[in-house]
Amino acid sequence: MIPERQEQEHEHDYHEVKPKKQGKKRGRKKIESDVNNVAGYGFISPFLIGFFALTLFPILYSFYLSFTDYDLMGQPEWIGLDNYVRMFTQDQTFWEAMKVTFFYAGVAVPIRLVFALLVALALNKIVEMVGLYRTLLYLPSVVGGSIAVSIMWRQLFGNDGAVNSILSSLGLPTHAWLGDPDTAIWTLIVLYGWQFGSSMLIFLAGLRNIPKTYYEASSVDGAGPLKQFFIITLPLLTPVILFNTVMQVIQGFMAFTPSFVVTNGGPVNSTLLYVLYMYRRAFEYFEMGYASAMAWVMLVIIAIFTALIFKSSPHWVHYESESK
Amino acid sequence: MKKWLLFIVTLIFGLVLTACSSGGEEAAGEQNEQEENGDQVTLRMSWWGSQSRHDQTQEIIKKFEDEYPNINIQAEFTGFDGYFEKMAASAAGNNLPDIMQQNFGEYLNQYADKDLLADLTEFVDSGAIDVEGVSDTIMESGKKNGKLLGIPTGTNALTAFYNKDMLEEVGVEAPSEDWTWEQYKELAKQVHEETGKFGTRLMEPKNLFEYYLREKGYKLFNEDGTALGYDDDKLLEDYFKMNLDMVEAGVAPGYDVIQQIKGVEDELIVHGEAPFDFRWSNQATALASAAGDKQIEMTLLPGENNEQGMYLKPAMLWSISENSKHKEEAAKFINFFTNNIEVYKIGGSDRGVPIKAEIREQMQADLSETDKKVFEYIELVTENSSPIDSNFPPASSEILAKLEQVDEQVMYGQLTPKEGAKEFRSMAEDILSRE
Repeated sequence: MIPERQEQEHEHDYHEVKPKKQGKKRGRKKIESDVNNVAGYGFISPFLIGFFALTLFPILYSFYLSFTDYDLMGQPEWIGLDNYVRMFTQDQTFWEAMKVTFFYAGVAVPIRLVFALLVALALNKIVEMVGLYRTLLYLPSVVGGSIAVSIMWRQLFGNDGAVNSILSSLGLPTHAWLGDPDTAIWTLIVLYGWQFGSSMLIFLAGLRNIPKTYYEASSVDGAGPLKQFFIITLPLLTPVILFNTVMQVIQGFMAFTPSFVVTNGGPVNSTLLYVLYMYRRAFEYFEMGYASAMAWVMLVIIAIFTALIFKSSPHWVHYESESK
Repeated sequence: MKKWLLFIVTLIFGLVLTACSSGGEEAAGEQNEQEENGDQVTLRMSWWGSQSRHDQTQEIIKKFEDEYPNINIQAEFTGFDGYFEKMAASAAGNNLPDIMQQNFGEYLNQYADKDLLADLTEFVDSGAIDVEGVSDTIMESGKKNGKLLGIPTGTNALTAFYNKDMLEEVGVEAPSEDWTWEQYKELAKQVHEETGKFGTRLMEPKNLFEYYLREKGYKLFNEDGTALGYDDDKLLEDYFKMNLDMVEAGVAPGYDVIQQIKGVEDELIVHGEAPFDFRWSNQATALASAAGDKQIEMTLLPGENNEQGMYLKPAMLWSISENSKHKEEAAKFINFFTNNIEVYKIGGSDRGVPIKAEIREQMQADLSETDKKVFEYIELVTENSSPIDSNFPPASSEILAKLEQVDEQVMYGQLTPKEGAKEFRSMAEDILSRE
């Protein structure tokens, strides 16, 4: 939700001349329209109920719980800031999980974005059967968050898995990928990068939007493909890059399934992603209050990162509309 | 034309179904008159386990429903991973299943602490659950704070499994009941040197460090569960060191190998990769059937005082949740499970050796080879054991998870055994001081 709000703010920055809303005339007309709106409210009520009961209320309730000691079964007991204090000052594992998550998001997100962009560029050149390729490349993301892919990953990188079989058939040394604290996180990073489909589709749409005339004009002036990429494609793609970066950073911080299924946080907590640790606090140690506090800390972190990305955007994002 | 045909077929099908089901109810009514007036009751029941247990339990439920046609059992089952997480969420919603498979130790204590389980004493007193003749020590394991919170499904004990073929191949003698840690290490080393395979499996710390402490005359937690039950960190240091030495010498596999094992069917002993494996006795069937024609034998765990370290444990418990609206009916199921020979004909010793002597005797005649060994083994343990420790604090699941974590760190060489032992104590004290 944060990026949406931020995006609005950010749009305001650029469209400084906002059409001012005319003050509505109050009175009979207003009442009439309210009556007419009943049907409208009736129709959107499923969404409204869903939003208030399943989104807004749980969010606020979890905020309340983050100040309590709540074991899921008894009554929440108010303890003020204790959860937060304990998290920052006493909980070693919290910091470990934080470190792993920052590393994961910091490495996996750029890899996924670069990969998605490269594939999108390639697809943009292909004319025949582009639909087929697009679908095939998108598939890993469709089944992306699912348990099945994670289980497959566990098999692939297992000691007797396909990766080691291929390595040994090539005469290369094999490795306990998931069993080594130094390499386990990398298998998760590769898994994240592999599911590049949705960012790729968005890049592809962005690429299609760049007018062909620019390329034609530049090639008349003698620019090669590499130069064209840096002076035309990349600058015109920056709004899409901004969007993709924000979405992927959020996803990266919130990753859960891979570390839960592929490695279960191990070995030696080397793949203990933040959300997995939060889940353990909530459902294995019955500390829902503490877990709620962790969730709010993550929310703040994501909000800060999103804000930073938006703040930096005027320096690198170019909107075509501005340059007119 | 076709639509008409479809309509008629549906109609006939529907009629036949209705006829069948009402017929069934009548028949059931005749069979069990007193139940006829009672409304249909649906019970929810949950357990964890392997696929074979799921199949067996559903067959047992069918038998139960045949006998009590007014009771319907809705099964909810998963593997052990995730089971208690799911139950915690149900408990939060005041929605625990009527009958739940409960685990002895930290879980039972956690649930007892929150008054989530019904006291079964009245059902035992009234005879609704017949546990006549079950030994006190076994019944005791289902009690907490003076309430009977669970009926054991069967008895279990830690077991040293060994692959006799592999030992014979090397020409060493199979371990006897009174083998020591030294002998264990020696045997493992010999097998490793002769065969190039592993000499043993790396021990998992949760149960085995506790056994190790008991064998040395200590407990994992003190009497009231407010602190660790041993003062000298040398104990844990020695335990770590014993395992680490074997891992470093290649006699035991490290965690990089252990982590790949998913389930009993996948264990090293099953594939002839290591001769020793320490685990619970009710897994004998799963091990033996996966191992095929290898001779898997059972004996007591090593140690000079192993009769002091060994104990009988309720394999798991059947509990009734406090929020259940049909406690009577749930009690009927537990009674059925405990007293009906059919249950054990289907399930064997998968949930432990039956707690009732009569059932055990009735089973003797047609026991499988493996079950026979398990029965004999449990008898051996009964004679060579001391009572189980039930002083686990509610936070022990977190503490035991820390023990596992430190064990990993030591085996990966990130901490020395000495540092590991110290680290575990400070972590455990932190957690206990929060309670």
